Amino acid sequence: MNPRPTDATERPVQKAASGGPPPLLPLPTSASTSTSAPRESAGRTRQVELRDLNAFYGSHHAVKDVNLSFAPRDVTAIIGPSGCGKSTMVRCINRMHEEIDGARAEGQVLVDGTDLYGAGVDVVAVRRAVGMVFQKPNPFPTMSIRDNVAAGLRFTGAPRGEIDERVIGALKGASLWDEVKDRLDQPGAGLSGGQQQRLCIARALAVEPEVLLMDEPCSALDPVATLKIEELIGELKERVTIVIVTHNMQQAARVADTTVFMLGGELVEVGATHKLFTTPEDERTEQYVTGKFG
Amino acid sequence: MVPEARSHYREELDQLEASALGGLDLARSALDRTLEVIEHIDVELAQLVIADDDRIDGRYLEVHQALINLLATQTPVATDLRLISALLHVLKNVERMGDQCVNICKVIPLSGNEPPADPQMTELILAMGRHAMSLVSQSKRAFAERNLALAQDLVRQDDAIDAMNRECFHLALQIGEDADTREWAMTMMLAARAIERIGDNSVDVGEQVAFVVTGLFREFEDASHPGRSVPGADLAR
Repeated sequence: MNPRPTDATERPVQKAASGGPPPLLPLPTSASTSTSAPRESAGRTRQVELRDLNAFYGSHHAVKDVNLSFAPRDVTAIIGPSGCGKSTMVRCINRMHEEIDGARAEGQVLVDGTDLYGAGVDVVAVRRAVGMVFQKPNPFPTMSIRDNVAAGLRFTGAPRGEIDERVIGALKGASLWDEVKDRLDQPGAGLSGGQQQRLCIARALAVEPEVLLMDEPCSALDPVATLKIEELIGELKERVTIVIVTHNMQQAARVADTTVFMLGGELVEVGATHKLFTTPEDERTEQYVTGKFG
Repeated sequence: MVPEARSHYREELDQLEASALGGLDLARSALDRTLEVIEHIDVELAQLVIADDDRIDGRYLEVHQALINLLATQTPVATDLRLISALLHVLKNVERMGDQCVNICKVIPLSGNEPPADPQMTELILAMGRHAMSLVSQSKRAFAERNLALAQDLVRQDDAIDAMNRECFHLALQIGEDADTREWAMTMMLAARAIERIGDNSVDVGEQVAFVVTGLFREFEDASHPGRSVPGADLAR
């Protein structure tokens, strides 16, 4: 493991270790590292905070000076027109943004006070702690249902004897177990679109993340599958902090406790969902949610 | 920003607002004719007002259904949602105003063709009615202009109607011992009470103006605690 920095941002984490929940960091740096830390964290959710976050694609400034907290046990929806930076901002939280050529991020992403962009932080461990579900279900096509869920566990070095138990737990957690328990060895690609998306959620849950990012997770699904995912979100928020990017404002209204409106890379308004959809404070939010532009 | 979207939806919402507020014009017109009924004991006109209440009820049903359709199909939010909620309340008040006119037009003929009318009491009730007509118009204007100050002024105007209603009551108490005159006075008190309620309905419309503009619903006056200031009632100040 790389040496941990000793700057002030880490002090809350050290303090938390003695009293409150165990710290997210030090994050494991290799596949052989024990998975005991995240296992211990199961059932807790984490405070996630963005500080002065900026993201760029080359010279294009896509996310501008964002300061935002995602409360534990909260579902936060990010809404805004195409190109407003909402997906980019979310991808900064698990450091996916930097994987794109020419893309970079500046600022801090703090999980329980620890900066995921700090020196010595293992990117792989970050992505295990901050899971992500994408717009289009992306199960590994040649793998069985069981192996799809186990893939992340094997990658992070979970003890072989625990894998089956954790696969079952993840499938149950994703409300998929009853539908697939008799065909765990069949290909994941044989499932319906909605089931595939829940399989991807199970895969993300298997490594017991602290945070689950969902980037338009229902946009490729039919209404019934969408409602199942939305119900699932309501159950999962007891275990993970959820951030969902959605173009569907009604979905944001249905699932989110807090809604964030972005425009031109900037945060325009953050508030309780019911407030934002009944009495928004910013005129631009009003214009957007009432469909006057977008 | 791109040019305004959902233009069809916006046009429909604008039209429904105009139709709902147009209901206030219908109610005002019904009250105007009801005052003629009171002044001239015009039984035929009373029947016409009663029959024409179907137009007000029809407006209520038509706009109410269209607003429900908009809720179901367009999922309005923010100001649009508050506006639709407010229009549903406005419609209910319009319908009640129409019913109050009907109530008056049903009782006036009961007093007979040439009742022993007290000119002072009749004039007071007609003055109340004219003031109530003014309130109905003011509530419409306050809503259309989203004018909080005008909406809150309805309370002051309504206080004047309430005062006239109390005065009417005192006149009725002092109307004398003649049984027919007392019966007439009793009938006229029912009319005064109905007009007083139309004033209250106008204030209710004003409260909806405040809701649309501020997002907060507060009664301008607490009927169960008269005189007590209501939190947030000074929204326009």
